[in-house]
Amino acid sequence: MDLIRHAGAGCVLAASGAVAGAAPVRDGRKQRVAVAGSARGAVRADLDEIFRRDYQRVVGVASRVLGSRDQAEDVAQDVFVAFSRSSVPAEQACGWLLVAAAHTALNLLRSGRRRASREETAATADHNVVPDVAEAVVTREERSRVRAALSQLPRKQAMALVLRHSGLSYADVAAALDLSPGSVGTTVRRAESALRKELNRHGSSD
Amino acid sequence: MGHPTEGVLRRLLDEPAGVSDADRQHVAACPQCLAGLAATREDAVLINAALASERDPDVDVAAAWRRLSAALPVAGPERAQASARPGRLRALVRRPVVAALAVAVVFAGAGTAAANDWLQIFRTEQIAPLSLSAADLIALPDLSAYGEVAVTGKPDVHEVPDAAAAAAQSGLDVPRVADLPRGVSGEPVYQVGKKVTATFTFSADRAAQAAAKSGTALPPPPAGLDGSSVRLVAGPGVAEVWTSGTGAPGLIVGRAVAPTAFSSGVPFQVMRDYLLSLPGLPDKVAEQLRTFAADGSTLPLPVPADQVITRQVRVNGAPATLLQTRDRTLAAVVWVSGGVVTAVAGSLDDDEVLSIARALR
Repeated sequence: MDLIRHAGAGCVLAASGAVAGAAPVRDGRKQRVAVAGSARGAVRADLDEIFRRDYQRVVGVASRVLGSRDQAEDVAQDVFVAFSRSSVPAEQACGWLLVAAAHTALNLLRSGRRRASREETAATADHNVVPDVAEAVVTREERSRVRAALSQLPRKQAMALVLRHSGLSYADVAAALDLSPGSVGTTVRRAESALRKELNRHGSSD
Repeated sequence: MGHPTEGVLRRLLDEPAGVSDADRQHVAACPQCLAGLAATREDAVLINAALASERDPDVDVAAAWRRLSAALPVAGPERAQASARPGRLRALVRRPVVAALAVAVVFAGAGTAAANDWLQIFRTEQIAPLSLSAADLIALPDLSAYGEVAVTGKPDVHEVPDAAAAAAQSGLDVPRVADLPRGVSGEPVYQVGKKVTATFTFSADRAAQAAAKSGTALPPPPAGLDGSSVRLVAGPGVAEVWTSGTGAPGLIVGRAVAPTAFSSGVPFQVMRDYLLSLPGLPDKVAEQLRTFAADGSTLPLPVPADQVITRQVRVNGAPATLLQTRDRTLAAVVWVSGGVVTAVAGSLDDDEVLSIARALR
């Protein structure tokens, strides 16, 4: 009954070594390690490695919120810039990055509702590919409604929903949001219920 | 026993091992719970499908890395000249500049206003964007948990009839815009704000309570810190506001006496370092604030990285920060020269605000 399966679901927020091998990075070749001029320590030394390991997952989380890969990649860039200056321990990096990506993307989703429609049109036209998910076929319009509703959810519910659907365990979601593990299910369920209601409301009036 | 909660049913879908044996057995034998489980599953599948924009986003990690490398600063955070990086500041373009700066400094742990026995510790010469992630912003502690924050002057922003009145009341040279950008015309509205003063007085008792509430021990305060104050003075300031055709502010030019901070009691650095070490402040933020404030002349300006892009430019020789919202609807440039901070902001392109700034008389 494993409902939500994602590559790299083993990212753990606060356990050491748990992220090894969690997020397969396609391009495993080692490239430039040094960022221009970073020799003075302005940028953390393990940035390159962590970036290659977790970038795709960070984009995945933001993309789940925004529905646009371009916007998701912008968010991922910002998150890694912030991370590059941080002293987050390497073993907690993955969790930190995913939480920051979800927050930043949710903020953008809210502000993005005011964004020029041409940008949205371009973004959805390029990337809003209907995935091959068994048992559920969702139209583009429904996706758009779900995201509008997502932007209106209480932040904790939205975060729990996004992180859980990005493959974080209940324990990880609990740690990230300062919830008890027992209440994660309730929070996620409430969020799903609210979004489902939004779909039904429109569906019945169409 | 009663029925398991909907949260338990939800977890049963994802992590059955996280659900107790008793609950699992109950659900398996209870038609009502099985129906609930089915409905829960249906919703979860649907929402998962709606949120999945692509089954497997095929990102170009190497290209993304090149982009990140180009965006990273070339120097450490210790200099304001450090290259542009995404920062955050929505207040700048929407609120009086002085208020935003005051907030930034109080937040940085440097409090405010001057009297004879106050030692000057901070005089703004430069402004640098301080990048905070949204997660950090949520986690920022309220300084009032650690002592008394008192604002002893009110900005009292009010309209005045013309440039001469604005100059007389603020004591500042009112900037003159050489050429108005397209879409902006007519005469501006002049506003003047008074000097603002805010004082933060550290309270060991209060800090201990805050620490206890967060379940951590308060690091022992340095001798003499309890009751010490830091104080920020900023302003007066003047703003010229042109409205665009839609009635929204089309162009704002503001100028104010830049913030200066003073301390009494223990040396400022002692209080700053102690405040920065308090539980609740994310390590990353503490680290950034520490390096910024150590310079003694650079005002950190928190700006929202998810909404604003910043870069370093120069305006008539002075280092300046150029900010632009990601949707390109607003841009602003802000710089400090001779103890005076000037900002140009509007519903304009970054090039436009920059040329207006460079042509101010």
